[in-house]
Amino acid sequence: MKIRDKLLLGFGFYILLAAILGFFAYMELRTITTRLTLVEIAGDITNTILEVRRYEKNFLLYKDKDNLQELKNYLGVLKKYIDSIKSEVIKEIGINNYNMMKETISEYEQLFDAIVDNFRSQEKITTSMRAAGGKIERRLTGRELESFLDIRRDEKNLMLYKDQETYDTFIRTLNSANLDRYEEVRRYRILMTRLFELYRYEKDSIDKIRLKAREIQSFTENLSKKERTDIDAVSKRSMRLLLYALLAFIILGTIINMRLARGIATPIKRLEEITKKVAAGDFSERIEIKGKGEIASLGISFNQMGTRLRDAMESLELAIKRLHEKQAQLVEAEKLASLGRIAAGVAHEINNPLAIINEKAGLMQDILQMSADFQHKEKFSNLINGIIGSVNRCRTITHQLLGFARRIDVIVELMDLNEAVIEVKGFLENEILLKNIRVELNIGEDLPKIKSDKVLLEQVFLNIIKNAIDAVEEGGLIEVSTRIKDENTAQVSIKDNGPGIPRDKLKHIFEPFFTTKERGKGTGLGLFVSYVIMKKLGGFILAESEIGKGTTFILEIPIQPRF
Amino acid sequence: MKKKKEIKVLLVDDEVDFVDTLAQRLKMRELMVATVYDGEQALSFIKKIEPDVIVLDLKMPGLHGMEVLREIKQLSPHIQVIILTGHGTEKDEEEAKRLGGFDFLRKPADIDLLVAKIKEAYWEKIERAMTAIAFAEEGELDTARKIIKKEE
Repeated sequence: MKIRDKLLLGFGFYILLAAILGFFAYMELRTITTRLTLVEIAGDITNTILEVRRYEKNFLLYKDKDNLQELKNYLGVLKKYIDSIKSEVIKEIGINNYNMMKETISEYEQLFDAIVDNFRSQEKITTSMRAAGGKIERRLTGRELESFLDIRRDEKNLMLYKDQETYDTFIRTLNSANLDRYEEVRRYRILMTRLFELYRYEKDSIDKIRLKAREIQSFTENLSKKERTDIDAVSKRSMRLLLYALLAFIILGTIINMRLARGIATPIKRLEEITKKVAAGDFSERIEIKGKGEIASLGISFNQMGTRLRDAMESLELAIKRLHEKQAQLVEAEKLASLGRIAAGVAHEINNPLAIINEKAGLMQDILQMSADFQHKEKFSNLINGIIGSVNRCRTITHQLLGFARRIDVIVELMDLNEAVIEVKGFLENEILLKNIRVELNIGEDLPKIKSDKVLLEQVFLNIIKNAIDAVEEGGLIEVSTRIKDENTAQVSIKDNGPGIPRDKLKHIFEPFFTTKERGKGTGLGLFVSYVIMKKLGGFILAESEIGKGTTFILEIPIQPRF
Repeated sequence: MKKKKEIKVLLVDDEVDFVDTLAQRLKMRELMVATVYDGEQALSFIKKIEPDVIVLDLKMPGLHGMEVLREIKQLSPHIQVIILTGHGTEKDEEEAKRLGGFDFLRKPADIDLLVAKIKEAYWEKIERAMTAIAFAEEGELDTARKIIKKEE
């Protein structure tokens, strides 16, 4: 998976979770708000009902217009409240409950209207009864009047208590008075009976009214209570939900993001480690490629870079090594060249005085030979020969230095290297026999004829083999091998089993006047001249030596001239 | 055959000590020897007396030996010149050969070798002069005839 996708996934998860959480929270809050409205409505309704009931009581007590009016007003307010309840709230309450409530209220109102009528009727009847009572009192006299006054007392009681017992007493008193023969008394009885009916009806109505009122009250109270409980439950549920969501948010989010982060960070960390290693110069480490994301392609590029770097470093190291070798060779060659120039300069300057010594000594010898014998003639002659001998030695040195002893200009001819080696060996036969040395020739049969200077090459072979003969003990071994090295190069190696040359001396052996032989035995020029000749022929010479095992000279000669 | 004594040798070298000593030694070996100490002297000498062989140094004050050789070969091509020097390089040797020098020897040189070379050079001169006569029309090669006459 790509890093971008991983990051998006991480963020996306949080955003999704937050959105879900937000949605739920919103829904819950909406529910609570609806419920709260209900509670509020329930509260208003309750208050209104309380007002209605206050005025109901007042009215029932005073039976006056004002209280009735107030009661009607509050009933109107209550109805308005009920009507204004929103449909969703009605749904919440339940449409049946709502309708029942409405019905109860209208029943209550009807009952009230009925009782108001009742009161009016009572008032009328009471007035009629009083009038009838007064009329009867004025008609009756004596015993009958007395009885009737008892009835009137019971009448007052009845109007006060309005109960069955008082009514029964009244009827009993009326019956025992036995005044029914009077038309007025009969009407009075009828009125009383009707009044009592109204009383009874009033009582019933009031009970009913109270019942209905209580019903309405308890209904609203229940509603209010239920809503409060619901709100409480919803709040608690919401809180729990939020808490769970929060926990999920933290735990799941942490886990997912940690996994994603690890998925991103682990390969980067690995990359960092390897980068450090590469920076420290270790190009061997490679990144394991997993998947297909940017990290993987980065890893592939990095690995390629590592390989390239390693290759580059290797070839660079090789180049530097070669450069060092080349430089060392150049330095060595330059050193030898300047030494050679100095030596040549000195040799030139010495030649003239040497020539004078030579001629003077020669003249002395000439004169001596023409002279008659005298006491020390022979001794003088020997002394002069000594001088001339030393002059000759000096001449050998200077001439060798200057390459005078033999020609040094190159004459290229088609020549057989093997033949040259054999000739040189033949030339040194005496010395070889004298020291009882074994010289083994390992001739490369496939060696082609080469184009080079036979005389100069023989000179070089001679110098080196002579050195080898000097180096080995009596009965020593010298191996001379020729072989073809590559299509352009022939190789001659001359190996002896002498004492070897110490390392510190080995690097000077091609310098002029450097010799390991005892004083007077070597000029220190043989190898120098050999070196110069090999250079002239476009080849080179090198020496390897191991103390106690011997020395090997390796000559490489171009098959075609390179100069 | 002429006597050896009559081979005329001119030594040209600025090293007086060397050239005088060498002259003595050559005289002892029955050669006619004259010495001069620089190139100019050498050239004016051969205009008066023509030597058979000249032994010539290269590095001298004034005219360089190589110049002297060139002049000599122009004046008298038959005179044989042996270079005897302590400074010669291979290039000098080539140059000398190219200019018609007879041989190129390095100091210090063995007296017997030098004498031998002088004699060779002398015979070379005679031979060349004779060849020149043989190929020459009558009276055309005065120099050659003169030489032959003299030799006779």
